[in-house]
Amino acid sequence: MGNCLQGQTSDDISLLHDETEALTVDRRGPPPPYRPRDDAPVYHVTPAQRRTVNQLSEEEQIRIAKRIGLIQHLPTGQYDGSKKIRECVICMLDFQIGDPVRFLPCMHIYHTKCIDDWLMRSFTCPSCLEPVEAALLSSYHDAAQ
Amino acid sequence: MVESRAVAMLRRQLTELNKNPVDGFSAGLIDESDIFKWEVLVMGPPDTFYDGGCFKAHLVFPHDYPLKPPKMKFISEIWHPNIDKNGDVCISILHEPGEDKWGYESPAERWVPVHTVETILLSVISMLADPNDQSPANVDAAKDWRLDYQGEFKRKVKRCVRKTEDM
Repeated sequence: MGNCLQGQTSDDISLLHDETEALTVDRRGPPPPYRPRDDAPVYHVTPAQRRTVNQLSEEEQIRIAKRIGLIQHLPTGQYDGSKKIRECVICMLDFQIGDPVRFLPCMHIYHTKCIDDWLMRSFTCPSCLEPVEAALLSSYHDAAQ
Repeated sequence: MVESRAVAMLRRQLTELNKNPVDGFSAGLIDESDIFKWEVLVMGPPDTFYDGGCFKAHLVFPHDYPLKPPKMKFISEIWHPNIDKNGDVCISILHEPGEDKWGYESPAERWVPVHTVETILLSVISMLADPNDQSPANVDAAKDWRLDYQGEFKRKVKRCVRKTEDM
C-alpha cells in the first residue's frame, strides 16, 4: 500500500546540488549526522508517540487514516451566535460570528482548527471527557433504528 | 502556527493572572523573554502541615501547549508523596492521555487541552492538602504519610516550610 498521508510532494533535488559541489572539494569530512526533516508532517499515534510521516509503520498509517476519517464525519459549521457556548475552551477565545466550528456528539463545540489538532491525539471531548468514537458510533446506531 | 497559539494563550493567562491574582499562588516568568518558562510561588494550604510555607516551582510549557501538558518542578525542597525527590510533580492531570502502563488513572483524570495555569495550580494545591497514595512519586514520603503522619511526616514537612521562610 502506498503512503496515503500528505508528505513530500515534490522531489527534493537540493541534495543533488550539494553532491556536485561536494565533488569539487578534496577533503570531504564524514557525512553530517542524520536529522529528521523539520518540515515533514507530524502525527501522534498516541499523544505521547510523535512520529513524522515517514516514520509511521503501515499499521500506524491505517490507524491515523481511520482517525482522520472519523474526524471528518463530525459535523462542522459556522458559529452563528445562537448557541449557549460562547468561548472555544481550547484557545480560550470568544467565538466570532462566522468562525468555522466543529460539533461533537456530546454537543460541545470548538474551533475546527483547535479541536482537530486535539482529536488527532486523543479521541475525547476536552470538556466532558466523553469518548468521541463511542458517541459517534452510538449515534449511528440510534439513527439506524 | 501551533507555537504562535501557545504564545498567545500563555501571554493572555499571564496578563489575566497579574490583573486578577488567584488565592494560593502567584505566577510570573523566570525570564521575561521566554513565555514558555514560568515561576510560581505556591502557598502551603491552610490547615495542612504546609501552611506558612511559600514554595517556589517552575512550569515549563511545550511549544504545542495546550495540546500537551507542561512539566512542573518544585525548586524549593518539599516532602510530599506525589512530588519526587527532584521536585518533579507527579499528578495525573499533567500526564498525557494514552496507554496508562500502571493502570491507576482513568482517561478522565489525564491532561485535556482546557487546563490553564490556574486549574493546574489549583489541582496542585489540592494535591498538597490531599495526597494520592495510590501512585507515590516519593515512596518514603508516602510511607511517612501513611504510617507516621503526626510524627515523621509532620517533622519533615515542617522542616521544608521553615526552609522556605528563610528564603
